[in-house]
Amino acid sequence: MDAQRNDPSPAVEMGEGRMMDEGELDFGFAQEVSAEPGGEGIVKCFACGSCSAGCPVRRFHPTFNPRRIIRMVLLGMRDAVLRDPFVWLCATCFTCQERCPQGVRIADLMRALKNLALRSGNMPEGIPMQVNLLREKGTLYPLDEFDNKKRTKAGLPPLPGAHEDVGVLLGDLADLGRPKEE
Amino acid sequence: MRRIGVYICHCGTNIAGKIDVEKLAEYARGLPYVAVARDYRFMCSEPGQEQIRKDIREHGLDRVVVAACSPRMHEQTFRKVCQESGINPYFLQIANIREQCSWVSEDPAGAMHKAMDLLRAAVERVVRHRPLPSQEVRVHPDVLVVGGGIAGIQAALDIAEGGHRVHLVERLQSIGGHMAQLDKTFPTLDCSACILTPKMVAAGTHPLITLHTYSEVADVSGFVGNFRVTIRHKATYVDHKRCTGCGICQQKCPKRVPSEYEEGLGLRKAIYTLFPQAVPNKPVIDRQNCIYFTKGRCRACEKFCEMKAIDFHQEDWEEVVDVGSIIVATGYDLMDPSVMELYGYGRYPNVITPLQFERMASAAGPTGGRILLKDGKEPKDVAILHCVGSRDKNYHEYCSRVCCMYALKFAHLIRERTSANVFHFYMDMRCFGKGYEEFYERVQSEGAILIRGKAARITDEGLASEEEGRLVVHAEDTLSGESLRVPVDLVILATAMEPRSDAEDVARAFRLGRSRDGFFLEQHPKLAPVSTASAGIFLAGTCQGPKDIPDTVAHASAAAAKSLSLASRGMVEVESMVSEIDPELCAGCRTCVALCPAEAIEYLPRLRVSRIQAALCQGCGACAAACPSGAAQLKHFTSDQILSEIDALMGA
Repeated sequence: MDAQRNDPSPAVEMGEGRMMDEGELDFGFAQEVSAEPGGEGIVKCFACGSCSAGCPVRRFHPTFNPRRIIRMVLLGMRDAVLRDPFVWLCATCFTCQERCPQGVRIADLMRALKNLALRSGNMPEGIPMQVNLLREKGTLYPLDEFDNKKRTKAGLPPLPGAHEDVGVLLGDLADLGRPKEE
Repeated sequence: MRRIGVYICHCGTNIAGKIDVEKLAEYARGLPYVAVARDYRFMCSEPGQEQIRKDIREHGLDRVVVAACSPRMHEQTFRKVCQESGINPYFLQIANIREQCSWVSEDPAGAMHKAMDLLRAAVERVVRHRPLPSQEVRVHPDVLVVGGGIAGIQAALDIAEGGHRVHLVERLQSIGGHMAQLDKTFPTLDCSACILTPKMVAAGTHPLITLHTYSEVADVSGFVGNFRVTIRHKATYVDHKRCTGCGICQQKCPKRVPSEYEEGLGLRKAIYTLFPQAVPNKPVIDRQNCIYFTKGRCRACEKFCEMKAIDFHQEDWEEVVDVGSIIVATGYDLMDPSVMELYGYGRYPNVITPLQFERMASAAGPTGGRILLKDGKEPKDVAILHCVGSRDKNYHEYCSRVCCMYALKFAHLIRERTSANVFHFYMDMRCFGKGYEEFYERVQSEGAILIRGKAARITDEGLASEEEGRLVVHAEDTLSGESLRVPVDLVILATAMEPRSDAEDVARAFRLGRSRDGFFLEQHPKLAPVSTASAGIFLAGTCQGPKDIPDTVAHASAAAAKSLSLASRGMVEVESMVSEIDPELCAGCRTCVALCPAEAIEYLPRLRVSRIQAALCQGCGACAAACPSGAAQLKHFTSDQILSEIDALMGA
């Protein structure tokens, strides 16, 4: 038998063994998550661990454990789930979702948690950068002069470098990309 | 002038928690013909029933409406109350304000509205009820038991001991079923054969039990008390009256094929008995594999049989038996785990099913009771995967109930016979029976390693040279949070019991329902666990749902008691709600004759009308629905009764 354990241990980071004060828990959190599209199945989890056992991200990242994230949500550890960056580590490979015997739809659940985290203002740095690109250019991979030169050479008409109208579709989300002091 | 009594049940808070029962009673008092309306906590209780009897006497009631639970629960109770008080039992109508109203409504105002509608419809209907006579028919004293596993054997023995003849039909050439394949039985570790074979022999030799082995039920007609059953005997090509079971034919037969009884681990001949203790211990020829039948030569068995019992010209034949009741004990199939590709069954030779392990563990089995890998070596590490195909929305949602315990038994047998480590991969350990938790503790103390987590997959990818050729189980021990890869030599998949692959055909033949999990449906999950929606047909054992041996035997004895109580009373009350045809209206078109599933309608050519034989009619109503002239009417469900009920429901 051979355990894969990378340090620092996730358990230590999440404060295993520490007495939890009831006030730290939000018992409505599981309901909130299950009301979010993709999060509906969370209460069905019976913690068999087949998601974690097959998770390719878990093999390389000590803090990512889908079963544990689900347990934390069910227990009401709202701040820990939404504040810590680990929900963003999900690679959306759907291995867990395929194997889950309870139909929890874990990859969809991770997306739901990302949406909740985002609404409470918790996200990795890359997200505002991406939003900013969408707001300004309307695409994550904007074209520049160099690309249009190549197109002209190939006999193709040039394309605009930005699609400002796309930014409108972002609505309130566009504010995420703006620098804080604005 | 009708005088109706209306009784509204609170059913504790089941109804009163959602519906204002006092207001409902007040509403009932305003309905036509209602002489008295009351509400009470539990109408089905003795004081509740007594109130109705008292009102019938004192208020001269001639119709009763009870607004309560489903008529399936207490219609008989209240019919009896009517009868005891001197009015016809069919002068009753139940308004179902529990299952169809309070339980399924969220909004109390809506529930109240619906309860008023249902009550009004019941009142309108009951005034049109006509008295029906109660009728009894004779019960044939014999019983048919379908399936010769432990459930069928137990039921047959109980009935025969009660003095009634039993026809026991078994599809294979011997009774015994799955239990005959098992090595030891949990939690007492009794040898399965040692406790089963005495029962098999008792069933085989009992003067009141007729074994119909290598046979199937071809047709069932009739109704409770009087079923007519056609049994098809498959050709065995051996005259079992002459055969002494000496076994010389099996020795001399040159053809070897994988044995179904040994789960493919051993070989059998083309002429074979299932196992040495088979009952009856007479061989049959497997036509698909017999060299004579496939190539036209050989006949070795015939040459060596001193009793001249081999008969290549035998044909299937049918036999008709009459019985009063039927016990269906057709058992289960073990799920084929090859559909779960991540576990590699069928791809990795050392991933096996539980029945394969049972055969390997059996001293009479292909390895003589030694636990061996495919290459003949002893395993050093064994993994047992729990909940394979059960508690899994992708396969079967239900818990298969027996796997935890047989998996623990396997661990015991492996620790007893080898020095191997045994790893259990489990989600929850369900050891609920008598002595089961103690057995769990015993196996733990014998050194079984318990890992709480479902195995995600099995691979043959070794990371180090010493892992080459071994299997690796991937799982998370959810209690410690550790992700594990466990190299082992043998993997046993604790697969689920599932309904027989031909359950749909059997259900149709015996007019049985099936529950969502595919097993046969009992009449009530708690209070009528062996009865079915078809009167006189009972369920025994795992055809009703996964069960271990103790539960199967108890269930089978319960079914036997049901059959015995029918047979010993000798008479049964049959439906008064049968159809009748008004000869004045009948045009003699015979539409109904072709439709009737009970074959209860005869055509009278001289009168040019059809007539229903009341004793055969099941009251299904097919004739009444199809009759173009309205001549056929189902009593208690006549057009005026149903239409007045609908009118009252629709009109506010």
